[in-house]
Amino acid sequence: MKHFAYILSLVIISSGLVFSQAQTRVDQCVSCHNDLETPEAKLFQHDIHRMKGLSCADCHGGNRYAEDMDQAMDKKAGYIGVPKGDQISSMCAKCHGDAEKMKQYHSSLPTNQFENLKESVHGRLDLTGNARIAQCSTCHNAHGIVSVKNPASPVYPLNIPATCAKCHANPTYMRTYDPSLPVDQLEKYRTSIHGIRNKKGDPKPAECASCHGSHDIKSVHDAKSSVYPLNIPATCAHCHSDAAYMKQYGIPTDQFEKYSLSVHGVALLKKHDISAPACNSCHGNHGAVPPGVESISKVCGTCHALNADLFSSSPHKKAFDERKLPECETCHSNHEILTPTEKMLGTTADAVCSRCHTEKENPKGFIAAQQMRTLMDSLIHEEAKAKMLVNEAEQRGMEVSDAEYKLRDAHQALLQSRTAVHAFNEEKFAETVKPGLATAALVEGEAKGAVEEYYFRRMGLGVATLIITILAVSLFLYIRRLEKNGKHKV
Amino acid sequence: MIASPEDTPKAPEPEKRDFLKLILGGGIIAWLASVLYPILSYLKPPVQSEVEVQSVKAGKISAFEKDSGTIVRFGNKPVILIRTANGNFRAFSAVCTHLACTVQYRKDMGVIWCACHNGKYDLNGRNISGPPPRPLDEYRVIVQGEEVVISKKS
Amino acid sequence: MKTSLKKIYTWINSRVELDDLVQFMGKKYVPINRHSVWYYFGGVSLFLFIIQVVTGILLLMYYKGSDSLAFESIQFIMSKVQFGWLIRSIHSWAANLFILAIFVHMFSVFFTKAYRAPREMTWLTGMVMLLLAFGFGFSGYLLPWNELAFFATRVGTDIAGILPVIGKPMLTFLRAGEDVTGATLSRFFGIHVAILPGIFIVFLSIHLLLVQRQGMSEPLDGHHDTERKVMPFFPNFLLRDLLLWLIVLNVLAILAVFFPWELGKKADAFASAPAGIKPEWYFLFMYQTLKYLPAHILSMDGEVLGVLLFGAAGALWTLVPFWDKKSSRGERNRFINYLGLFVVLFIIVLTIIGWLA
Repeated sequence: MKHFAYILSLVIISSGLVFSQAQTRVDQCVSCHNDLETPEAKLFQHDIHRMKGLSCADCHGGNRYAEDMDQAMDKKAGYIGVPKGDQISSMCAKCHGDAEKMKQYHSSLPTNQFENLKESVHGRLDLTGNARIAQCSTCHNAHGIVSVKNPASPVYPLNIPATCAKCHANPTYMRTYDPSLPVDQLEKYRTSIHGIRNKKGDPKPAECASCHGSHDIKSVHDAKSSVYPLNIPATCAHCHSDAAYMKQYGIPTDQFEKYSLSVHGVALLKKHDISAPACNSCHGNHGAVPPGVESISKVCGTCHALNADLFSSSPHKKAFDERKLPECETCHSNHEILTPTEKMLGTTADAVCSRCHTEKENPKGFIAAQQMRTLMDSLIHEEAKAKMLVNEAEQRGMEVSDAEYKLRDAHQALLQSRTAVHAFNEEKFAETVKPGLATAALVEGEAKGAVEEYYFRRMGLGVATLIITILAVSLFLYIRRLEKNGKHKV
Repeated sequence: MIASPEDTPKAPEPEKRDFLKLILGGGIIAWLASVLYPILSYLKPPVQSEVEVQSVKAGKISAFEKDSGTIVRFGNKPVILIRTANGNFRAFSAVCTHLACTVQYRKDMGVIWCACHNGKYDLNGRNISGPPPRPLDEYRVIVQGEEVVISKKS
Repeated sequence: MKTSLKKIYTWINSRVELDDLVQFMGKKYVPINRHSVWYYFGGVSLFLFIIQVVTGILLLMYYKGSDSLAFESIQFIMSKVQFGWLIRSIHSWAANLFILAIFVHMFSVFFTKAYRAPREMTWLTGMVMLLLAFGFGFSGYLLPWNELAFFATRVGTDIAGILPVIGKPMLTFLRAGEDVTGATLSRFFGIHVAILPGIFIVFLSIHLLLVQRQGMSEPLDGHHDTERKVMPFFPNFLLRDLLLWLIVLNVLAILAVFFPWELGKKADAFASAPAGIKPEWYFLFMYQTLKYLPAHILSMDGEVLGVLLFGAAGALWTLVPFWDKKSSRGERNRFINYLGLFVVLFIIVLTIIGWLA
């Protein structure tokens, strides 16, 4: 046993000697290619991998110590030449996908990049069908790879837009994969606050990877994508809700919080209605800036078209522009837009009209607001009353499908009147409300009729019962008299 | 009622007898009326002459202009029957999928349009613009001779 | 008025000899005894049957027997047709009261041993009509094509299907196919409004003819020595009958107005069966018994055995006039009373359990 341990330790020591001997031997690839001054060799001098002790043969294979070129670049010695296609990424992943190996180099980098790339939109097969669309080297370069924190890196925040744009701003190239995908993202980005600051050398504002991710970039139609409509608010909030991160820019950081409470936020985040607007619907995505004061109604109007049209032709348009009041926002606020109710209309404490239209300073608008509210209140009241009567009749087992059918019209008038408010014209408003009131009255009449019919049935039964009782009693009396006159015996 | 031939009761007091018989006769007549009235009313054809819920007759082909839309009542819900510019018929639920307003055909835009919030659907019922979250449900249109019939799509 | 009536009478009389009939009717007497009250239930059953015929015909004017329209047409009858709600509710209520009335009628005949010679045929036709009434109930229940009826029919026909040999063909015959579908509805509709009424009328005619011909049966414990009390059938008994009918009609109207028969949800073959599917109350005792039977009894399927046992018991019950020789001889047969009591209790208890379950 002792002997065995002795022999083992000898072997280990001697092999260690051989290894340290090899280290001191000259790397023939480097020395030769340096002499040749190839661009690859030049770039490689600053490569982070060289700093970590890696050399040409670690990626290209071959015998680095052979002085003879044929020997050094012998395929039998594992020489592969320039890696092609997927070979590139696999080669990188040999170390970058192996946590143990990365630890040896004292690296704290993640090791899932290649896995992420495979799953990403760039991991699909390219035009040739032989390799993935993007390899590691597509973005990171091949021989001059430096840390992402190094401003010389193509994936340093300030350089990312240009790196991505290499392909994404090239219409002829992009057309071959997705003809409908825009190629003006960089152009738009440069007009955005993010892009402008990025250009000025601030690495903090969002660039492509901040929103789209890096290795794991997914199509916008992929529900897992960080830019899938449902995920956008959280993606933006990643920076915009981070008070410390945003501190130097002096803008609020409660937009996400407010948005989550808004009718839009509830629709998108709670009800998962992807047609509801996310941040980018109003601010733009690549060209993200807050909309200008006078263009708000246009932005909101992309969905709320009728309201926007009515507003634009209303007397408020000019008044708002003159006073530099943001259009829709003045009454509805911006991020925290709540479901509007009739309470917003009129001159009560909750109402928004009276903020400008005070009784003394602006009596005309004050009265109009009051009257519009009265009209709307009466329509709401009449509709609710008609509905209640219809329900009552229905609960009594009466058939009121006809009235229910008409009730739809009254409800429609109410919905339309909510839109019609935005014309800020009392007459036009009344035109929408009046037919609704008429229908509600009609339905009320029908429902009342149905309830009356219910009581009519009971009365009918009462009358019939009375008749039958009288008949039964008189029949009974008749029988008794009949039998008094002759008991029959046999 | 045939009187029994054997037991003709002797009349005790003519007054009382007449009164009782009067009530009895009147009662029978009133009873008959109270039974016959519901039956006769039942037999009177109702306004809507038949059950028509699975399908509904919209009218004659000639009643619908090309490039127009008509609201047809289908059970308890409105259906929009559209005759396209090339004369084909299509029918969709006329209940907007946004807030249940009744939609209409807009000749100028060539779409199905909801007046409440400017929702638009194409002539296949797909929501193409505005707030509607879902397409309109489609109904089947069958042309039987001259008659246009709308039925539920099963 | 009177003379013209008389003229019509003589005109008919000279052709069909009405006098004989009138004389026969006039001589008809109904015995009065402590069991006389039971005599009325035959009449009440008849009256309810007449109501069913009248309201059934009225419903036929608007009902449509197809799976796509049956439910809607009843909805239509209940809402759009004037008094349609009344006619339909009365038809549904009277159907149940009809079954109840013939049950009472049948048991009263059984306990008073009125089936004994010479009235065996009256009993037999009565039992056939009871069976037909079950058929009416079972087939009519499906016609509204609502959820409950749909699944109850599925279960009901399933039970018929487990019978050996004839089960499978019977199931296919009843359902007009493998499953309960629109074809079943058409079939049940035909059975309900044409086949059953046709057969029923034949048996009813024989039954009534026999009753008129043989008169009412008198209980065995009657004291033949003392003088019998009787009442003329015409008009005394008939008028009493009519009085009761009037009351029954009023009860029906009250039930129809205050407890309108519900329509429920339209049947959907693909929906899962709603909880608590139960047959109509008059099938409940059999249904509940089958539930209590163990899965296997003596290497036989428990349910099959149960159905066969019910069949055998029904047959024995029907044939009681032929094996109860004692009663026919005019002797007391206490066994019959105990048997009847057991059956009544069995039915009542299991119906209540089934109802509560």
